[in-house]
Amino acid sequence: MSPRRLVALALLLLPLVAGAAPKKLVLLFTGDNGGEIAPCG
Amino acid sequence: MPVLALDAGNALFKSLADGQDPTAKLRAGLLLDQMGAQGYTAMAVGQRDLVLGVDFLKKKTQGTKLTPVSANLVDAKGQRLFPASVVTTAGGLKVGIIGVSPASGSDGAAVLPPGVQGQPVQPAVAAEVKRLRDTAKVDLVVVLAAVPYAEAVKLAQGAEGVDFVVQSHDGRGVGMAQRQGVSTLIPPGERGRQVAKLEVSVEGTGPFSDQSEANRALESQRMVEANITRVKERLKTEKDEATRRSLQETLTSFEARRDALGRTAAASAPVKPGRTYLLSYVQLGADVASDKAVQQQVERVEPPGSAGH
Repeated sequence: MSPRRLVALALLLLPLVAGAAPKKLVLLFTGDNGGEIAPCG
Repeated sequence: MPVLALDAGNALFKSLADGQDPTAKLRAGLLLDQMGAQGYTAMAVGQRDLVLGVDFLKKKTQGTKLTPVSANLVDAKGQRLFPASVVTTAGGLKVGIIGVSPASGSDGAAVLPPGVQGQPVQPAVAAEVKRLRDTAKVDLVVVLAAVPYAEAVKLAQGAEGVDFVVQSHDGRGVGMAQRQGVSTLIPPGERGRQVAKLEVSVEGTGPFSDQSEANRALESQRMVEANITRVKERLKTEKDEATRRSLQETLTSFEARRDALGRTAAASAPVKPGRTYLLSYVQLGADVASDKAVQQQVERVEPPGSAGH
């Protein structure tokens, strides 16, 4: 493979390597609120 | 970090008799408006969300980003009343969010409006999980389970392809994340007193592991290490032989504890690449400032000094 093709292949693969970092997400949950809208209500 | 806000259900009414309370409708309406404004993606339809009927919930969420979801609520003709799930992408992860409501005629049977039937929970969820995994190709499946606790445990134990089951119905409050067979059961808190915060990290496939077990062992190890340093400092200056012997025994015991904690931390450390979660709660106490505009809306429904405020 020519050096130019090798560079092109490396550039193509770069996003795949960069994308290997863990994907992170925060899920916020509420439940059983029971109609509460005020601190003591 | 990208955030998804979800509600496990039973958000709107305190009790099934709330329909008689003239302020209940105003409170429920305000809650739905605010859930939409705060960017909630979905809520499960619990039996205490249907006190004013299906149409109230549908109308109040029409045209908003908040989708009420239920895989098993059907009308008298067997037609599904709400979408079974929503799929959204956040943080590069495609997330499938399924809702499920109490089944009619089960233990602690659902109290649903006339003409509304709750089909059996597990088959409804299993069918929707299969569709999301096979067709939508989601990375993560969350079930918002507005069902009795025992039903949620059964669901978590048997629902292949489900990552997290978040349960509401009984007002159980906060708790630990519990691994139940194939998925993890999450308590969401209750009565707006806290928000459950689940931080997930996804690298590759496989079951999720609890990051907190390794964190706890490491934290304990650090505390024991600090005690070891203190005992060693005392040993440098202590002249009394009996005290030195006692300190030496304490040191040996601390070192054994430190080594055991190190082994625990290593054994419970998540496999890399892998999928981990960390559950914590944000307490919504007096130290959390109120949003002035929202507070004004609340006070229109429940003036300060009123029974509910």
